[in-house]
This record gives sequence, C-alpha cells and structure tokens, in this order.
Amino acid sequence: MTAESLEENMFESDNPLNELNRLLIKYDLTPNQAKVYLYLSKIGIKTASEISKSLKIPRTETYHLLSTLQQKGIIFSVFGKPTKFNAVGIDESIVILVNNEKNRIAELEIGKADIIKLWKTIPKYTGNKEKLEDNKFQTLQGRNSILVKLEQMIKESSENILVLGTESDFKKFYHTDFTNLLKKTKSELKILTDYPNKGIHIFEDVPSKKIKKLDDKSREDFCFIIKDDSEVIFFISNSRSKDMIAIWTDSKTFVITLRSLFSLIWKKAHHIDESNAESLLGSEITYEHRLREIEQEKNILNYLQKNFKLSENKLGVKNE
Amino acid sequence: MNKNLIIKNSRIDSDHLNILIIDDNEQITKMLTTFLELKKHKCTVANDGKQGLILIHENKYDVVLLDLAMPEFDGYAVIKALENEDMLKNNKIIVFTASTITKDELDQLVSRGVTSYILKPIDIDLLLSRIIESATS
Repeated sequence: MTAESLEENMFESDNPLNELNRLLIKYDLTPNQAKVYLYLSKIGIKTASEISKSLKIPRTETYHLLSTLQQKGIIFSVFGKPTKFNAVGIDESIVILVNNEKNRIAELEIGKADIIKLWKTIPKYTGNKEKLEDNKFQTLQGRNSILVKLEQMIKESSENILVLGTESDFKKFYHTDFTNLLKKTKSELKILTDYPNKGIHIFEDVPSKKIKKLDDKSREDFCFIIKDDSEVIFFISNSRSKDMIAIWTDSKTFVITLRSLFSLIWKKAHHIDESNAESLLGSEITYEHRLREIEQEKNILNYLQKNFKLSENKLGVKNE
Repeated sequence: MNKNLIIKNSRIDSDHLNILIIDDNEQITKMLTTFLELKKHKCTVANDGKQGLILIHENKYDVVLLDLAMPEFDGYAVIKALENEDMLKNNKIIVFTASTITKDELDQLVSRGVTSYILKPIDIDLLLSRIIESATS
C-alpha cells in the first residue's frame, strides 16, 4: 500500500484506526489530537501543512494540536524549514499518557489540602436552614463516575455490603479496584449473581461462601449495591445498554425496599458450588414447605400427648 | 402395626440407638428427641449443618436424621462435605425433609451414598420403623 492510498483510507469507518482513535480519547486526547497522533504514527515525518491538508483540519487548529501533542510528549519536531513532526512509538506514548494522568491525579491530591484549608477560612452562610441529611439523590453517568462512587462506598463501609446483579452488569468493572476492594472489605459481604458455568468470573477472587446464585426467575434487569443499609447505587441502564447510568441515594425508603428484596432472594438462593437440583430445592423453602413442617410437628405432638400424656409446655412447644 | 415391626421394634428398643438429628426446626427436634428418648434411644441435636458435621466427625451415630433445607450450611452441604471425605457411605444418613424435591433427585442422593429418605410429614410410628430399618440395614 502506498503512503497516498494509506492516507486516503486511514479514517474510513471500517479502518481499525477509527477504533484506536476512540480508544485514545480515554487517555485525555481530543478526537483531532488522536487523529493527528495516529496519522504521524503511521505515515511518519510530515510538516504541519501536509498534516492539515491530509486530515482536512484547518491549518491554525493543526498548529495548536501539534503544540499540545508536543507538550504531552507523544510527538516531537524535527528542526528544519519548514518544521516537520513525527510521533513517538505507540507503546511509549501510552506509558507517557498514563503517567501524565497519574501526575495530574497526584497534583489534584496535593491540591486537596489547600482547597479545604482555603474553604475553611470562608465563613459559612447560615441563611438556608433546610435539612439535607436524608433523601439525597445523585445521578451518576458513565463508568468512571459510577466506579468512583462504588469504590468510595466499599472503602467507607463498616457493616455490610450487598451486591445484586448479573456478571454482565459488572463486566465493565473488570481490571478495576472494584473486586479487589470487595475481596478486602472487612464488612459482611453478600453477592447475588448469575455466575454462569463458562467464562471468567468477575467475582472469582471473592470467597464462594459469600456468593449465592441468582436463579433465572430472579435474574431481572436490576442491579444494585447497598452499603451499611444506608446508601444504595442502582443501575438505570442494564448490561445491554451502551452508556452506564446509575443513581446513588441515601433515601431510607429506597434502601429498605431494595434491602428487603435482596434478603428475600438471598434466603431462597443457594451458594455457587451447589448443583442445579440443590438450587431448585433452595428456591422451594416456601409456604408449602412450612406447612409440611407444621404438619410434622403436629404428628409428633399428637402422638406424645396421646401415648405419654405430655403437655405442650413440658415439650417446650411454642404456639404458631 | 404388623408383627414383624413389633419384633424389630422390641429388638432395637433394647439396642439403644445413638441418633443425631440435624434440623433447624427447634420444635421438631425437641419433640422428636422427647419421643425417641422415651423409646430409650439416645438423641443428640444439631440445629445447623456445620454443627452437625462436627458432631459426625467427633462421634459415632447409628443413624443421622438430616434435614435438607436449613439456612447457610444446609443438608446438601453436609452430604457434600461427607462425600468429599469419603464418609458418606460409612454413616447411616436419612434425609428427613419437607421440601418439594422430586423422587429422582432423592434417588440421586441415595445413589451418592445416603441410606434413605423420609418426606415430612410422616406418621411417627412409621418414622421410627424407618429409622430402625436404616440402622439395621
């Protein structure tokens, strides 16, 4: 393939460069910055004017993009007239971009103390007496904002964490600290998930006694995580949706409702290392089951009263 | 009650069976213990599977009456644990359940090494005769 034909086809919809372009945006590059970087990576040394013409980006914007990419350290200029540009290799560039982000986060961490210090110097406005202790709702959009809140909840939890959802609901949290934190938590952890027989399990590092299997009937389109019976995150979009949207709330009504739902399913569910027949049995501890138990109690009681003249009190029988 | 059963009963009564009941239903375990002790058998009760498993490891029982549906560590977990340790066939385990489990599933448990099964509710004389049958099988 010639350089010209490569240039022409580079950003057509079926070209993998388009996917790469999308992926690079996650590393804090704008679509056009990613485009310029990928162009230079594949085509090699070029002037700003050539880049502008090939990528159909206005010349002034191209200069600006090149300047930013140089500051980020993933392209470099070659002295000459006119100045030419080339890209740093993709491996090295990813390391640089990741380090840039890490440094930025470290700076934000350092800045936190200053912000809080400054904040405390400003007197509090006391005019608004409205109580904001309960019933707070927060919409969380996108994987990152949900993940940050989830991690915060798990870290702050001191009593219990209840997780309900299918593996596909949580697959977007692979390779994050989410499962690691769950594994390490000192709170009582209970996970209800489908745990399919095949494939990698997101909760495989969590002890199996803390996981119960959702049966098909309970496997509805809901997914939520409750912390210490006081906060909950529930997902609005299900696993099939492309965009992740969730709502965090500390509304007691919501938390209690979802907590009750969780307890009900947990009671009926079986641990993941039990067979299907065993799981089926677990879901049948029902009214009918209880009736049979009561009938059995009656049988024994009647026999004892009839044959040995024993009273209910003597037998320590409670009235139902 | 048929003649054979009376003969069997009288023989076993004098044998003083050592019986372990693993069931979370305290009313059933209390009454069953009273009944079996009046019949001169020795009864031990575990109200969950974990406790039951410890008792099986530490003692020798003529018969173990095992409920299946118990919270957390249930009857299945007990069976699985005994199976893993090759102890299932060395113990006379009678599954004693109120669950709506199918006959095939119960037969499967028997093929794994459970001695027999009894579905609740059952007539108390019949229960005793089944315990005796299993203990002497």
